[in-house]
Amino acid sequence: MKKTTLNYLCPYCITKFDTFEELKVHALTEHKGEPVPLAEGMIQLTVNGQKYQIRVEPEWTLNYLLHDKMGLTSAKMFCDRGVCGSCTVIMDGRPILSCMKLAIECDGKVIETAEGIADSKHPLIETYVKYHCMQCGYCTPGFITTAKALLDRNLNPTEEEIIEALEGNLCRCGTYPQHPKAILEAAEILSKSQEGK
Amino acid sequence: MKVQEEYERMVAMLDNLGADQYPLKEFNVIGRRNVRRLDGIEKASGRARYTMDVQLPGMLFMKFLTSPYPHAEIKSMNTKKAEILPGVRGILRYDDPELPPVADLGGHGPTAIKVIPSIAHFQGEPVGVAVVADTEDIAEEAIRVIEVEWDQRPFVLDAEEALKPGAPLANPDDFPGGNVEVEHVEGLGDMEKGFADADRVIEFTARRLLHTYVSPERPCGVVRWNGNYPEFWLKHQRPHEGKRTIHSWFGGIPMNRIQLHMLHQGATFGGWTQFAWKQGPDYCAALLAKRAGRPVKWSFSRRDDFYGGSMDEGYYFFKIGFKNDGTITAVRVEAHFANPMWEGFGAGTHFEDNTRIPNLDAPRKVVKVNKGPNTAVRCEQLPNTLAFTLAFDRVAAELSIDPIQVALKNDGVRGNDMTWVEKRKKELGFIPRDSLRECLEKGMAAMDWKNKWHRPGTKRLPNGRMHGIGFTWTHEWDDSCGSGEIAMRVERNDGTVSILGMRCDNGVNAETAYCQIAADEIGMRLEDVFYRPQVDAGFFPMCPDSSTNTSVNGWAIRHCARLLRAKILQAATAPRAVTQRGSFPPFFPNRKPEDLDIKDSVIYVKADPSKRLPVAELVGPSAEAGPLGFHELYGAGRHPFSVPLFAYSYQVQLCCYGFFRPKWCRQAHFMEVEVDVETGEIEVTKVVNVNDVGKAINPETCAGQQYGGSNMGVGRALFEEVVHDPVTGVMLNGNLLDYKIATIGDCAPVDTLLVETGQGYGPYGLTGLGEDIATVIPGLLVPAVYNAIGVWIYEFPITPERVLKALGKI
Repeated sequence: MKKTTLNYLCPYCITKFDTFEELKVHALTEHKGEPVPLAEGMIQLTVNGQKYQIRVEPEWTLNYLLHDKMGLTSAKMFCDRGVCGSCTVIMDGRPILSCMKLAIECDGKVIETAEGIADSKHPLIETYVKYHCMQCGYCTPGFITTAKALLDRNLNPTEEEIIEALEGNLCRCGTYPQHPKAILEAAEILSKSQEGK
Repeated sequence: MKVQEEYERMVAMLDNLGADQYPLKEFNVIGRRNVRRLDGIEKASGRARYTMDVQLPGMLFMKFLTSPYPHAEIKSMNTKKAEILPGVRGILRYDDPELPPVADLGGHGPTAIKVIPSIAHFQGEPVGVAVVADTEDIAEEAIRVIEVEWDQRPFVLDAEEALKPGAPLANPDDFPGGNVEVEHVEGLGDMEKGFADADRVIEFTARRLLHTYVSPERPCGVVRWNGNYPEFWLKHQRPHEGKRTIHSWFGGIPMNRIQLHMLHQGATFGGWTQFAWKQGPDYCAALLAKRAGRPVKWSFSRRDDFYGGSMDEGYYFFKIGFKNDGTITAVRVEAHFANPMWEGFGAGTHFEDNTRIPNLDAPRKVVKVNKGPNTAVRCEQLPNTLAFTLAFDRVAAELSIDPIQVALKNDGVRGNDMTWVEKRKKELGFIPRDSLRECLEKGMAAMDWKNKWHRPGTKRLPNGRMHGIGFTWTHEWDDSCGSGEIAMRVERNDGTVSILGMRCDNGVNAETAYCQIAADEIGMRLEDVFYRPQVDAGFFPMCPDSSTNTSVNGWAIRHCARLLRAKILQAATAPRAVTQRGSFPPFFPNRKPEDLDIKDSVIYVKADPSKRLPVAELVGPSAEAGPLGFHELYGAGRHPFSVPLFAYSYQVQLCCYGFFRPKWCRQAHFMEVEVDVETGEIEVTKVVNVNDVGKAINPETCAGQQYGGSNMGVGRALFEEVVHDPVTGVMLNGNLLDYKIATIGDCAPVDTLLVETGQGYGPYGLTGLGEDIATVIPGLLVPAVYNAIGVWIYEFPITPERVLKALGKI
């Protein structure tokens, strides 16, 4: 009968050991205090304030991960790739196109989507409704995330700065003139609430 | 003439204010500003669901083979490599024995065509085979490894080329006799006399190149079989038609076994969601889902979507006769359209509907070419508005007079002058107002027209650019034909009102407007009325199709609301219930329905408002023993309740076109531009929209269609062109990098002005406007640029290259 040989692999440095005891001693002496590494293909993400550990395939985009796997359908595909801004999410404070980012590159990142912005009661949501910034609504979450990222770094934007920030977001219904109005009003509400603090 | 008289008689029966016996004296939420959008929070938070968002357990993905050639037949196909690819769950070939020779795939009427053709008539056409697989990537890979032997055929891409003798036949299979599918003739009067009466006659030619939809949500669909019966998620502008089509498939599926979902639609902008070319995939997905025993989702790529185009592509040949005072005596406009999927309206209808011009001739040819199918892209009136704008502005320019004066001189209806118009309005029950004049007054003031209009090519700005200004006008046409049905019920427990009816929500906020009408008519608070159009409740209001929306549905909603209100008041004054224990007295004893009124969702006695009952208490709570909440069985006391409160109504509306109903409401638009004569760049610096909407139910929504349409229209006029390689017939710019639409940076300030003359055929005298502005605005760039540089540019879009060519610089 063929004898089965078991190898014990160190999860930190992939050194082989013949017995579990040897591996244990190695791990406790050589890697004491180090955080346990993630298995291959696993990434850690913070999305809308919640921590996730997810196994991703190398070809998955961040958009596929958020929209198809995590059900955060606000990240919409409009153009196919990299042109329309509808899939914009905020990553580490910057608006990015989730269709142009591989999920596997996003290990350790902090991500915000329109759902999270709405749940945090950000004033943009109400001002967007007030000024009819949505018609068919397909591109709207991409505008929301872009606008939120703008207000995060500039609480007092001029209309020109808003237009510049939104130039990468396409809206076929042509709601464009309403967005600066809504963003300026949200900025005012935010400024007032910060003064209050 | 008998037919005409018969139509007039029917018009009199169905129209309009005469039939409106119970006008609302006061409006509460109708016409009010700051009415909250029903879909606002859903859409802003990204939680509005679209068909593209649907995911079901075990769902497969379907992809089509598309033709690499503009005209080719499949000689043979080898799918073996695809069959053994891991993850492939089904392959449907054109020669599959289960495919019928033809199937009804929808259209304006039932259209029997091949589900998967073996001959492609344009590059990019889904043809030959569909594959379903575990993932989209595997399905695409499977398509790549399918080996096809093609028999390439000669092709033709341009309508004028296709008309030349000896041109290749674009579709010899269906049109062996030539590339002209059909020729239409329409017009009125005597053309010879019209030109003889003229002081001057001019001729010129214009050309519109191909452009397209770019709906944000790509064409897509999902289907699952629950036992023997299918469940569909459609991206579709007409759910009633989608259901009828599905009903005809697979030997017939009973209507009551088809489950339909119409989630939010990532815009549709026109006709092709319901056309056969798009519904073939729904059929294939259904067949493959059945075979695989798993749900199937399909979607076109963004490039696939580009193959559906706008039916104004083609050539326009003008001959116009006019007098020196601006009176137009005859207009001939012949149009050659490339590939329209249906005949459309040609380019002469607006002259007929809007003017007193007595002699019109508007023949058109429908020409087949080897490009994708064209249909209404917001909207089928593009050829008409383009021809109307070009003709009127050209006449004014030839005479060196203000185009406003030419418009006023020729305003009328079907060869009749304004005296006739005023008389006819009165006969139909309208209070006559001069819609065009009112629009012009508002628009001219907003644009400062009198100070800004100047002779062409004469005003250089300090920045070195040439200043130009243009004006155009036409009628409102969203009061056209259609039929809609709708129901309403008062919910148990809280007395809120639900509107029931499945329609395509593509963002025009009509749902909120319907709630406003219902709230005011019943007497409910607006927040107590709700409409979720995604649900198939068995009623199908008019969708944003056939150019109609609120002007048809508004009638049905209003009538339904009045019926429901009557039922509520009846229930409040009738015995509440007759049961085994006896009869329970009315809530309002010894009162008649007419003694009561409803306001803010509360019923009260008009003579004594202190006697009141919220609608919620009338309907009562549901309970363990059933929805009517009556506890007699247990002897545990009694909750008040009423009979179930439900109402149903419909509206069948005659078409405005064909002169069955003359149109009274006008619109006027103004555009200001700066043209850089060194680079050819055009910047639109201001747009003014004035629309006589009859009565605005939700003014912000009207404004949304105005600035939205203006921004779309400006982009169309400046950039939008689908380009094909003349050598290979392959589409070159089927993506949003190489096909530009307007961004926020391209948008000029837009003044949105409304006129409310009450002269529309909808309830309260309203007419819609959603199609109008994006359709009228593109043509307006021509007179504005002419006013700037003094040269006519009759090729769309007006790119910098075309400006420089017109100026003789390249």
